[in-house]
Amino acid sequence: MKYDIVVVGGRIGGSTASIFASKNGADVLMLEKNQEIGTPVQCAEATSSRTFKTLEMEPSSKYVCSEIKGADVYAPDGTHGHLEGGYAEGFILERKLFDKHLAIEAAKSGADIMVKTMVKGLIRKEGKVCGVVAKHMGRTMEIEADIVIAADGIESRVAQMAGLNTSQTTKSLCSCAQYEMVGLKTDPDYLKFHFGEKIAPKGYAWIFPKGDNVANVGVGVRSNTENAYHFLKKFISNMDATPVELNIGGVPIRGPVEKTYTDGLMVVGDAAGQVEPFTGGGIHITAHCGRVAGEIAAEGIKKEKTTSNFLKKYEKRWKNEIGKDLKDSLKYRKILDKLTDDEINILAKFLKEQDLKSISKMSMLGFVKEYPQFLKLLKDLL
Amino acid sequence: MELGVKMIISTEECGYCGACVSVCPHNILELSEMEIIAHEGCEECAFCMVVCPLGAIKRGEK
Repeated sequence: MKYDIVVVGGRIGGSTASIFASKNGADVLMLEKNQEIGTPVQCAEATSSRTFKTLEMEPSSKYVCSEIKGADVYAPDGTHGHLEGGYAEGFILERKLFDKHLAIEAAKSGADIMVKTMVKGLIRKEGKVCGVVAKHMGRTMEIEADIVIAADGIESRVAQMAGLNTSQTTKSLCSCAQYEMVGLKTDPDYLKFHFGEKIAPKGYAWIFPKGDNVANVGVGVRSNTENAYHFLKKFISNMDATPVELNIGGVPIRGPVEKTYTDGLMVVGDAAGQVEPFTGGGIHITAHCGRVAGEIAAEGIKKEKTTSNFLKKYEKRWKNEIGKDLKDSLKYRKILDKLTDDEINILAKFLKEQDLKSISKMSMLGFVKEYPQFLKLLKDLL
Repeated sequence: MELGVKMIISTEECGYCGACVSVCPHNILELSEMEIIAHEGCEECAFCMVVCPLGAIKRGEK
């Protein structure tokens, strides 16, 4: 078997790369290890309009559960801040349906897809990646390709096989557990975020409404002592609602891996750490990078340029287009990591009294004078 | 299933999410559709145990 491009992984990164590579004339095969695209879900399912802009799609009620107007954020002591519109605005998806829809779009664009097919190794010639060794229903096959796109998720091994370091550490991986719950009375238009060492150490707990009193209720933590499921059970203990689904997974939150391309291969999405470190949101980032990888791959095929020297354009482009957002997000995450619950409470009370759009230097100076421990934080921010 | 001499993964509790695979510094773990495959070379750093969202990985008895 021979294709121009083999895409490993059939979720958002893989399907997006497949769509844009196919649309630009390349012969694409996408491999998905699961027998059903879109399951199991490993996501809180919130995203912004940027995703649809990148995909050149209109959000459809086929896979959008609800539209979100903003967010309510709770400090450890319950101090509550309300965010309206802007960054907090977006959609809650039904990922099972959305991922399947994207795969259908990839197929319509001309990509071939194989499900229940797992990549076990790479074919390499003189160091360059030239295809994959895959296993489907007990049968091992060699599939040649000029370019391989690794979009194989947090458990990625494909990029590692090509010599890229995509591994995470216990500090860089947020461990998450979520129930989709029915009968939960929560404002259908707003996300809820809860912070606190006892609620979700080095992470947060969330309630994302999916409409009709259904919501994703989850926690993301970094803890050496208790697992995410423990904190989830604690978080929902007083909720009068019934779970219909349990989702678990790891979210990489230290920003992108050091290098996202090599000879004949690019890495995309969770596998590449392309996730906003502050929020853990990755859908719009992955769609963006998937599109860039697909376009660059198709261009490389046309020009018969598939080595590192050409594929570095992928990294250059995504860094140019979204690199700063990811860097800023990492900066905020690192600041939040350093704050104690008491400090978050103080900060929340201060911010609550301010008009965030016109926060004055005088009020900031007054705050730092009263709480000098925040001086360094202010320096880091400015 | 034994990952190393003293790391044990409970297949009854495992949710097959791949978090353990991503933090294994020796790259000995592999997630197929519904199976965690452990190759040889576990050095019992227990990173997998720390990140497992369901607490499915434990140290065995010494």
